[in-house]
Amino acid sequence: MIKRNHHVEKATGKGDPWCFKGEAGPAKFKVGDRVRIKDLPDIFYTRTQTYVRGAEGVVAVVTHESPAPEDESWDNTDKSEWFYIVRFRQKDLWPDYPDLYANDSLQTELSERWLEKA
Amino acid sequence: MSDKHDKHEHAPMVDEVSFFEILEVSVRELAIEKGLFSAEDHRRFTEFAETISPAPAARLVARSWLDPEFKKRALADGFKASREVGVDWLKPTGFGTPSDFCDLRVLEDTPKIKHVVVCTLCSCYPRPILGQSPEWYRTPNYRRRLVRWPRQVLAEFGLQLPPDVEVRVEDSNQKCRFMVMPMRPAGTEGWTEDQLAAIVTRDCMIGVALPHPDRKANAKRPLHLAKNPVHH
Repeated sequence: MIKRNHHVEKATGKGDPWCFKGEAGPAKFKVGDRVRIKDLPDIFYTRTQTYVRGAEGVVAVVTHESPAPEDESWDNTDKSEWFYIVRFRQKDLWPDYPDLYANDSLQTELSERWLEKA
Repeated sequence: MSDKHDKHEHAPMVDEVSFFEILEVSVRELAIEKGLFSAEDHRRFTEFAETISPAPAARLVARSWLDPEFKKRALADGFKASREVGVDWLKPTGFGTPSDFCDLRVLEDTPKIKHVVVCTLCSCYPRPILGQSPEWYRTPNYRRRLVRWPRQVLAEFGLQLPPDVEVRVEDSNQKCRFMVMPMRPAGTEGWTEDQLAAIVTRDCMIGVALPHPDRKANAKRPLHLAKNPVHH
């Protein structure tokens, strides 16, 4: 077995992220939960945008389990976590978003480590 | 002034090659040398990946409009429902290439919600079912402006929505891949699946356009003659 092929071997026939199914334990949040996005350090790699840091939103979908990108980018796939699509009001992300379009929203996906109960 | 003029300070003619292009070429050439695959294999796969069309995704939308049971399956699990329109995300590589990830989410528009998809971090796109992304989808301009000024960007695409419609931007920043299921337009009553599939264009499934009974994916494009043509 070639060590660096571990991802290919794990994902073949299942697909990524489905190959990590069952590795994260119970999900901490459920659909409808209000959450705040933490502002964690990200000096190496992250997929959490600056514009959601500190913002509050609602869990829209509990999507799948996978190692967080902060770990997976360094080939550290030992620990999976749950991922969530979180819905924000545009007005909560951009204070000068026009009031006329107060209904407008934005969804993005975050791993569990980035979320705290709001 | 004449000094500067004489020096002809033109930019040199060079092909700009990015770091990632060099990296790709190096890895590819090493793999070919090592015998992992041949140059011909690589060309064939590139040809395959670049000629995937959005037709299966259009079929998925058209079938959902006609078959409520299929629609339920498409909304519940896009990855599985793709197989019913002839796309297996695991084929041909076995683990999800040419897109690496296999979690397809279908976003259903309603009279009150209009979805539009962007990837602010790079250009994540459901390639197995929509084909290669358009050039503008990958530009920093679209990526950074759509999340911040969605209505203005949509207006530039010719799509203006009333304030009571919620514009919902989906930032595809992780392993989920997204396509939009637009609403079936009026004027398509009694149409067959084939007829409906023809009006669901790529842009309708990214979310920057709405399907229209007169605008088919394979329609003849209008010819605009130049007002002041150059005479040679």
